[in-house]
Amino acid sequence: MTRDRVKLVLNILALLLLFSILYFFDRYGSPYHVRILNNMGIFITLAVSYNLVNGYCGVLHLGPNAFIAIGAYTSSLLTMSPLEKQMNFIIEPLMWPLSVLQAPFSLSLICGGVAAALFAFLISFPVFRVRGDYLAIVTLGFGEVVRVLCNASQSVTNGPLGLKGLTPHTNLWWSWGIAVLTLILVVRLVNSSYGRAMKAIRDNEPAAMAMGVNPFRHLLMAFLISAFFCGVGGGLLAHLITTISPTLFTFFLTFNLLIIVVVGGLGSTTGAVLGAILFAWGGEALRVVESPMNLGFMTLPGIPGMRMVLFSVILMLVIIFMRRGIMGHREFSWDWILDKLQRKEAELKKP
Amino acid sequence: MPAPFLSPERNMPMFLKIEKLVMQFGGLTAVDSFSLELQPGELVGLIGPNGAGKTTVFNMVTGTYKPSAGKIHWLDQDITGLPVHQITAKGLARTFQNVRLFAEMTVLENVMVSMHITLQASFWKAMLGLPHYRKEERRIRDEALEYLRELGLAHLADEKASSLAYGQQRRLEIARALATKPRLLLLDEPAAGMNPLETKDLAQLVREIRDKYGLTVLLIEHDMKFVMGLCERIKVLDHGITIAEGTPSEIQSNPHVIKAYLGEPKHA
Repeated sequence: MTRDRVKLVLNILALLLLFSILYFFDRYGSPYHVRILNNMGIFITLAVSYNLVNGYCGVLHLGPNAFIAIGAYTSSLLTMSPLEKQMNFIIEPLMWPLSVLQAPFSLSLICGGVAAALFAFLISFPVFRVRGDYLAIVTLGFGEVVRVLCNASQSVTNGPLGLKGLTPHTNLWWSWGIAVLTLILVVRLVNSSYGRAMKAIRDNEPAAMAMGVNPFRHLLMAFLISAFFCGVGGGLLAHLITTISPTLFTFFLTFNLLIIVVVGGLGSTTGAVLGAILFAWGGEALRVVESPMNLGFMTLPGIPGMRMVLFSVILMLVIIFMRRGIMGHREFSWDWILDKLQRKEAELKKP
Repeated sequence: MPAPFLSPERNMPMFLKIEKLVMQFGGLTAVDSFSLELQPGELVGLIGPNGAGKTTVFNMVTGTYKPSAGKIHWLDQDITGLPVHQITAKGLARTFQNVRLFAEMTVLENVMVSMHITLQASFWKAMLGLPHYRKEERRIRDEALEYLRELGLAHLADEKASSLAYGQQRRLEIARALATKPRLLLLDEPAAGMNPLETKDLAQLVREIRDKYGLTVLLIEHDMKFVMGLCERIKVLDHGITIAEGTPSEIQSNPHVIKAYLGEPKHA
């Protein structure tokens, strides 16, 4: 068997393993475990696509919350029935085409992604005129603008009341299916010639331009693809939580994603996946620190929000001791494992 | 059939023609009225003391700076002020004075980036891993390796670019520039920081690649032995002004050049 064959078989085996684990939890797991796994899947989608812009293009983009919000609202408004919409929009009725449109969940996710990508396209012209800190501020601003717009446009988003009673369409198959799909597509992209062009822009933009790479075109490409998958992730998130309101899509969401990709390793898809898994699992495991603790001699009162303090401490520790995150620029690869195994075999054969 | 109203010289293909380029930064005129014509296959040197405006000329020709005045014609097209990547696509490639490699990428990937403009398959074909894209990827990889072999870097293909020795990094810059398939190669101080032996090899290499790829070479260099031995024609800049132009022997005996480099002779 050639190397490529072996890797294909290993990939299929890994996927089978993943989906049998999911099947097991779907059948026998508690709702709590299923919820954590769903969160993991969605955060993998979000982190991997966010990392495409921040890690591979080296652009500090701080507005994914806008894309997630747009995706979430678009897909929710499409899956709700006209009757549900009427019940939700009590202050001002929903504006016309949206009030009658309805689509199946799968289509609504795609629409959410497309809407987010469209928005990304509109803001890309001012965003990519600047670089570095300025770009961070511009994207941060757009993220905030979208949140404020969600709050203010009563006849589209129902304002601060939000949308309630969404059908919980998101299950393990949806959240992890999309995560795996995103992963495959993004990995293929970053390992392609287009991905190399993006990394070249990250490493040295003037040199990349001198080698014929058009920076705007490639940054835009990454930005739109990232926005599309963030939008899809937003749709999944909405149909998992079943209630969305503008407060869900504050800068805090962006901050969480930033923690995930920085801790995982900027510019490593493996790192983004690991970061997302640690975040979704750690977020729950650390709930302990928020409940009252009895240390024997004294009782610590539970402080809500203590988890975030801990997260910040972890982020600081990572930045001090592992400046490039858990993975750095490294990636998981079967080649590495197979090489190791072959070397060991060769050593054993030696007398 | 040529149109009758065209004068005979219009029928000559114009290669590179730079007309009275001016570059002003605020009140400072970095380059003043710089003109240069290159014929295909020439090897021309651009020299001058530090701050003479040599790199500024390169930056204007390759599109990094937009000239304050003047025109750059390339193969009968006006390319003045076009974006850098478009100028590269038209067949002008450069190396940088301070090495600018893609440090986090491998040596091979550095060269493969330059081949990106030759890619036909669109990004969604790459994302889906379609056969058309894979074929293109193989072609790019093979061709990039060919350039590395040419520059004697093939054995380092999988090393990180930042781990190379200085001389090798300079060679990689040339390999990367060649991979954009240029007709004009602009080398900005290719011999800087090299020892005499490396410099000698480099001169040999420049001649070889010019002949092999049918290039025209314009280079900036401070190493006079290198320039005089290699270039057929030399242009001397001082404070943005062209002070001399000619063959190496003419330049060496030109009083203006001697004055610019060594200062006025002292009178007793």
